[in-house]
Amino acid sequence: MSELSVNHLLGIKYLNKEDIQLIFETADHFKEVINRPIKKVPSLRDITIANLFFENSTRTKLSFELAEKRLSADVLNFSSSQSSVKKGETLIDTVNNILSMKVDMVVMRHPNPGAGVFLSKHVKASIINAGDGAHEHPTQALLDSYSIRETLGEVKGKKVVIVGDILHSRVALSNIFALQLQGAQVMVCGPKTLIPKYIDKLGVKVETDLIKALNWCDVANMLRVQNERMDINYFPSTREYTQQFGVNKELLDSLDKEIVIMHPGPINRGVEITSDVADSKQSIILNQVQNGVAIRMAVIYLLASKIKQ
Amino acid sequence: MNILIKSATIIDSKSEFHNTTQDILIENGVITNIGNQLKNPKNYQEITLENLHISQGWFDSSVCFGEPGFEERDTIANGLKTAAASGFTAVAMNANTHPILDTSSDIEFVNTKAKNHAVTLLPIGALTKDGKSEDLAELYDMTRAGAIAFYDYQKPVGNPNLLKIALQYAMNFGGLVCSFPQENKIAGLGVMNENITSTSLGLKGNPTLAEELQVARDLFLLEYTGGKLHIPTISSATSVALIREAKKKKLDLTCSVAIHNLYFTDDVITDFNTHFKVLPPLRTKTDVEALTEGLKDGTIDMVTSDHNPIDIEHKKIEFDYAANGTIGLESAFGALQTLFTLKKTIDLLTKGKSRFGLEQTPINIGNKVNITLFNPDTKYTFTTKNIISKSKNSIFENETLKGNVYGIISNNQISLN
Repeated sequence: MSELSVNHLLGIKYLNKEDIQLIFETADHFKEVINRPIKKVPSLRDITIANLFFENSTRTKLSFELAEKRLSADVLNFSSSQSSVKKGETLIDTVNNILSMKVDMVVMRHPNPGAGVFLSKHVKASIINAGDGAHEHPTQALLDSYSIRETLGEVKGKKVVIVGDILHSRVALSNIFALQLQGAQVMVCGPKTLIPKYIDKLGVKVETDLIKALNWCDVANMLRVQNERMDINYFPSTREYTQQFGVNKELLDSLDKEIVIMHPGPINRGVEITSDVADSKQSIILNQVQNGVAIRMAVIYLLASKIKQ
Repeated sequence: MNILIKSATIIDSKSEFHNTTQDILIENGVITNIGNQLKNPKNYQEITLENLHISQGWFDSSVCFGEPGFEERDTIANGLKTAAASGFTAVAMNANTHPILDTSSDIEFVNTKAKNHAVTLLPIGALTKDGKSEDLAELYDMTRAGAIAFYDYQKPVGNPNLLKIALQYAMNFGGLVCSFPQENKIAGLGVMNENITSTSLGLKGNPTLAEELQVARDLFLLEYTGGKLHIPTISSATSVALIREAKKKKLDLTCSVAIHNLYFTDDVITDFNTHFKVLPPLRTKTDVEALTEGLKDGTIDMVTSDHNPIDIEHKKIEFDYAANGTIGLESAFGALQTLFTLKKTIDLLTKGKSRFGLEQTPINIGNKVNITLFNPDTKYTFTTKNIISKSKNSIFENETLKGNVYGIISNNQISLN
């Protein structure tokens, strides 16, 4: 198989195993490219991509932009911390206005779950979801799995725990779907208030004891607490959260085996992980960032090749 | 109005002609004869339709027509036209208008708009001033103007003391108080049922707990006050159980369920289709089974289409932002018939009348004519072509429904499609 089964990347739940395999193999190639002295290929010289960020983002936006430029695509950036609806314009109108300037592909981050799916049904462009509310963040999950594959050889059979604010996290959801698709076992760990009540129905284990969770896993993916998405305090204080769900070096060293530490960023140092954990040799946080560019190049390249057909 | 209906099968358990095929002679709005091969005495209009069945006119206890204030959604005139074409001879219209119907003059405005129509429109007044759930509206004055019940449409009475006072106060004049079953603090920003589908879509969940807490609270308040309460549109299995228990205490209590909450479950929301965004949200199979059982054993008194036209600008947007609601009059009969027998369907569509002050009008000689004409056996795919409402937000689009409506004869008028 040399092409994706989908025309958009809206979420991991819309992909199959072969899609992920293809994206990884393509990313392997691009990872080699971005480590060359000339880090650029001319593949997408005739493609224009609009990055529409209706929600704040630093690393994802930079990563996408860099991936697009490494592929020689023309890039258009649009950022608005306010949703277009509040300004009186609908999302469809905003995007159609941009598309009428002959844009081929849209990378969109949006605060509402399903915004990408909605857009894909109403506009004529290939859509890449760069995060939609608490729904999905597919390229993050792909780069996470890719980094596990790089570090541990394969994803299949590995035990991965996702720790922290699962309730408000699109990264958790996309990771659950991606890891399960590749045959990994997934556990979520955090305070009950931040774990969706019915998440076990997705086939994941639920654990509230961090030490048990870390002893079980091969990989711990530490999430940030998303205070900005909370309408009520889900725990009494950050201090108390850290006491129960923060990973420090002492805890890491007390485990029977050496586990891999991941984090999608941005890190709140001293909250979910301490600095010595973030900077330890067990941490692959910066590898994740580098792999992010290769994965995004792969996704954009594969979707663009479907447009060209 | 003089009509001879030829060869109609009568579906009316209160009629001595139930389940028989007869000719029906109507003179000056009264059924003057029922029998085989009746002669047309004075060249009256004759109605002959394929597989014609008739029943008592149908009633819907919860519809919204937009007017006044939201005419872009629909108007009273077109709403009544929709009701007639869908087989309803009476509808109770909610006060979610702009301004909200919270004074006698508002009620009079609606009555003026709806007069001289084949369909009887029963206005529901707001329970509280401006629907703000702070102070009671002038319930007595609105009753005198023709308000049939009091309901802040889909807005819960947050303050239990206010509901207590409303129930007590309305007892002076037999007023029917409606309380939307939702505890808003638990429902939070939920946009669909809290379950595996909401989890996998990343959408905020509205748990059944929000409904059940409010139902339990309202039942305690009803028992304390001894008032007259209607709980519109319940959706959870536990609500059915709570109401079943409460009814054993002989409280003056009724409740309803929306047809779409019987027909769909939350797992249909796979691609963020906002046609499925309704309140109360679509629940699970367990809930649907309990609701169905509740209708069978009489715990739930009536079904409603909870007809709520929403313009495309408030539906063709992101799921979080989209308005709740579906139209339902046009699909009500066809959807119910996929779930229940014909007899039960008719029973559910006529049962609620007395609670909202309408008389039952069995199809018997000497009674005023108030009937719905239909063919129960046709099967068809429901599409926007079947929609008469100004707004096309139907949850039933592309569903296969059973039975189509020919029209109604009511208020001394005939309205055939």
